[in-house]
Amino acid sequence: MSTAFHHRLARIRALVFRHESLLLLILLAEWITFSFLGRRFATWENAADILRHSAEIGLLAVALTPVILTGGIDLSAGSLLGLCAVIFGKLWRDAGFPPTLAAVTAVAAGAVGGLLNGSLVTRLKLPPLIVTLGTFSLFRGIAEALTRGTDTFTNFPNTFLFLGQERLLGLPTQAWIFFLLAGTAWLLIHRTTAGRNCCSAGFNPEGAVYAGLPLSKIQTLAYVGVGTVAGIAAVIYTARLGQARADAGSGYELLAITAVVLGGTSIFGGTGTIHGTLLGVAALAVLNNGLVHARQPRETAGILTGVLLLTALTLTTLAYFRSSRKPSRTQPSP
Amino acid sequence: MKPLSREASLVMVLGVLLAVLGFAAPAFFSPQPLLSRLSMEAPCLVATCGMVAVMLVRQIDISVGSQFALCSVLAGTLASKNLPTSLLVPTVLLAGTVLGGFNGWLVAILRLPSIVVTLATMVILRETVRWHQQGALLNLPADLQWFGLSQSAGQWTLIAAALLLTGILAWALQNLRAGRCLYAVGSDPEAARLAGISPSTTKALTFLLCGLLTAAAALMNLVQSPQVDPKSGTGLELKTVAAAVVGGIAISGGRGRLWGAALGLLLLATISPALTYLHVEAYWEKAVQGAVILLAVILDRKSSATP
Amino acid sequence: MSAVLELRSITKSFGPVRALRGVSIALFPGQIHALLGENGAGKSTLIKVMTGAHQPDSGELLLDGKPSQPLSPVSARAKGIACIYQQPALFPDLSVAENICLALEPHSALSRVRWKNRLQTATSLLRRIGAQFSPETEVRALSMPEQQLVEIARALGSGARVVIMDEPTASLPEQEANRLLEIVRELASQGVAVLYISHRLEEIAAIASHVTVLRDGESIATLPMEGVTHDQLVELMVGRKVAASAPLPAPSTASGPLLELQNLTCTAAGIRNLSLQIRPGEILGLGGLVGAGRTELARVLFGITPADSGSILLENHPVQIRSPRDAIGHGIAYLPEDRRRHGVILPMPVEHNMTMAVQPRLFPWTWIRRNRERSMANQFIESLAVKTSGPEAPVGSLSGGNQQKVALARWLATRPRLLILDEPTQGVDIGAKSEIHSLIRKLASEGLAVLLISSELPELLALSHRVAVLRGGEIVRSFDAPPTPQQVLQAALGYGEKREVA
Repeated sequence: MSTAFHHRLARIRALVFRHESLLLLILLAEWITFSFLGRRFATWENAADILRHSAEIGLLAVALTPVILTGGIDLSAGSLLGLCAVIFGKLWRDAGFPPTLAAVTAVAAGAVGGLLNGSLVTRLKLPPLIVTLGTFSLFRGIAEALTRGTDTFTNFPNTFLFLGQERLLGLPTQAWIFFLLAGTAWLLIHRTTAGRNCCSAGFNPEGAVYAGLPLSKIQTLAYVGVGTVAGIAAVIYTARLGQARADAGSGYELLAITAVVLGGTSIFGGTGTIHGTLLGVAALAVLNNGLVHARQPRETAGILTGVLLLTALTLTTLAYFRSSRKPSRTQPSP
Repeated sequence: MKPLSREASLVMVLGVLLAVLGFAAPAFFSPQPLLSRLSMEAPCLVATCGMVAVMLVRQIDISVGSQFALCSVLAGTLASKNLPTSLLVPTVLLAGTVLGGFNGWLVAILRLPSIVVTLATMVILRETVRWHQQGALLNLPADLQWFGLSQSAGQWTLIAAALLLTGILAWALQNLRAGRCLYAVGSDPEAARLAGISPSTTKALTFLLCGLLTAAAALMNLVQSPQVDPKSGTGLELKTVAAAVVGGIAISGGRGRLWGAALGLLLLATISPALTYLHVEAYWEKAVQGAVILLAVILDRKSSATP
Repeated sequence: MSAVLELRSITKSFGPVRALRGVSIALFPGQIHALLGENGAGKSTLIKVMTGAHQPDSGELLLDGKPSQPLSPVSARAKGIACIYQQPALFPDLSVAENICLALEPHSALSRVRWKNRLQTATSLLRRIGAQFSPETEVRALSMPEQQLVEIARALGSGARVVIMDEPTASLPEQEANRLLEIVRELASQGVAVLYISHRLEEIAAIASHVTVLRDGESIATLPMEGVTHDQLVELMVGRKVAASAPLPAPSTASGPLLELQNLTCTAAGIRNLSLQIRPGEILGLGGLVGAGRTELARVLFGITPADSGSILLENHPVQIRSPRDAIGHGIAYLPEDRRRHGVILPMPVEHNMTMAVQPRLFPWTWIRRNRERSMANQFIESLAVKTSGPEAPVGSLSGGNQQKVALARWLATRPRLLILDEPTQGVDIGAKSEIHSLIRKLASEGLAVLLISSELPELLALSHRVAVLRGGEIVRSFDAPPTPQQVLQAALGYGEKREVA
């Protein structure tokens, strides 16, 4: 029995590896296809454009990875992005804050929102799906109430818009922030005990407590991380579009979760990688952009995203079952 | 003192809210707006029944909003091609069943996690509808309105139908073997398998039922307006999950009663008009709903923590 | 008389692993047949073949002497084969009555549930086995032994002719185990064929009429129980002579207590006014029934459920233990009872599990040093003789005994002063068991204070220098010299000699 279990686990690990290679293959296939279909697809201009447009969702996906690793989920990230954007806009326009100070405050507000999620999950032991469903409504609701649903903040100074619309050293400015945060996240998850403890918590939360691991701290920090990053993403979003509204980032949480799961992180927690998530984000971003260049209707991207997610999931699951089940059926005993 | 059941506490909260409204804003109870508000919620109640069933077996279906939209658009398209109602209704119901069945197949047979599966089908269905409609509204033939009845008779019919359906399902969940199987599978799938109940079949059929009920909800919504909005049903999944959670259905499966979820929906649906009548800005609606969801789970935890 | 259920030369493989390679066994009505074997000998697979959960690759299955179709879980039950699993397979959210009746009722999905009939059926079944709780209780509110009674009631209700019991007493203390054995005898006297699986030889000797020994997926021997000695059985199971356990080393010379508890109280854990002392190098055994407060005391000392009042003194200094981290900081280590849930994290590699409790020391600034980790893991793999394909193998791939060694290594790595062992050999095969026993002795002789919790009296008495017996969250007796099993049992059950608080 134990040997069978061992084989299964060894295969899971092999699959995680395979999953990322599969993603890389998909990405390559997308790139080649769209290079043929769209005339201006394979250019530096366009690559920069893809980066610019995927920074916010990419940031959320990277921050969501540790939460999902711990076996949790955060549906409120998009709503929190909206709330932070509104707070930023209000502080700048109505309270007369300079953009930097307003941005810092908005990021801090995001952290507080994440702390709310985290404490409800860890202190009161509430299911994360329900907690963040509640705050999904709550954050968006507060954003709507603050703006009375229609108020839009615009006319930001150019120095601020530089963050979202200009380039620094050849790359979109926000890409540098994205790379910096993604790199930090990679180190945290794969090179420090924090990341490993996220996995322990995801595999077996009780076991983590009995090992003396600071379970509540790990989980809370993961949610605070999402909140903080949602704040940063809100500032970038505002700078990219030049406006902040209460509906900023609607549906981003689902796109980000899609990217994380596509990147091979188990929705049940325990296994997953930051580079997988980055590949997932890239696969989705290239698909979206490529289809526009190939003059396909916008909706195709959404449909293909869903199909891609289902296919990747089915393939890995089927491979898993084939490896762990088939032998008992096909190999008759001597 | 024995703690109050979830249903009893919900009735009390609702009672207080309605009493406050009765004093502060008697206009809330004027019959015509009240009737149309209730009939607007009737489809939602039916969809909630489906979500409750899915949650009882420890799953979740976040694609119901998209299923709802697809069924609505399908019905609109068929109606505009002059398909008789007697054929239209079964076709749409069948479509909903197929959509639910597809989710069920992926979850139960391929054993994919339901939250991811329905996340994917949600996106696929929603984008398909958008592609097909490009945002255009569909006009419906006049004879589909209120089943050809007068408006208030139609509204009464809808409310009665939704309540009847909920009643039957609530009874079945408590008293039919099939209903108990849902609770058993949600409570412990492995124990269910050992007791001769197939968890995968049960799950698949539950998703099927959810699809069917969502299609029914879409039809009940359709007859209330002269047009089909391809964006209809957006957020339905969250509304139904919220109603279920407020009504005491456990996300971990196997616990809670359908009546509780119905009361939860009623509470959530009362809040936003209540805000208007109590002169609170309507923009606070979403925030208050979120707070109610959080409050419900927090109180739940507090009361179960002190035995 | 023909066998109700007979298996002939059953084989079953999982991929390259041959779990069963020729098992024959026959169960007769009214007989209690014991099945013995080390972990991994194929017992679980054999049960699953009997209950239809697995299809055998080859071999014959006979019911009432007639060859039978391969079984499925449903057809096995219909033919009267019931299994009571180690972990009760019940629905925690449903009532006892529903748990008992759900599987007995007609399978038509649209049939109506007759609640009154259910209640009657359940009441009479529960009465037959002497259960005290109401059939309307939710199962989640029941204790583990009570849940097993629900399982047995369900098996009885299904009119089972063959009842398979998979280590039903593994987590039960003596008294409750004895009551369960009574019920098993009662079942057999009603004509049921019982297949009884247990690691406890005494139990088997007490109730079984025949015994089949399984080794490496083969049925080595089937013997009548009469005239078989324990040594013979152990030899059949392991296939080699087991060395007799070493004699108890002398307790260390008198020194001040390492740990002293004064009037410790924790309402949540049910610990009341508990006082005890333990010296370095001493093994203090905690006796008592399940729920008497032994595991609960360990959880208080390890900070999982912190104490409400009273004091904990370590080397005469009062300390506060509010969390497992505090406990680890004070040099307290706890090997929990439920290895698979609490002891290790199964999918994680051996090395990660071993270093889990010493992360702050091993990895400054949380930065992982792979070399340090690897060398520490290799040291423990060698010193504890852990059988693993390597430090990077997931713990789930090891056998129970080796998993336990990994769990133990995690705590030895913290260099503890006090080691709390909670059922350290539960579900561990005989070879690993004696290794763990000698390890415990060695650690104590090196000056470690050990608090040993074990429901297996021979183990508790063979290892402990002193024994304290708990009942209702209090110490009811303590023995300065190893007591007899009877003395411990009497104190645990609360009769016999006068109460004498430690």
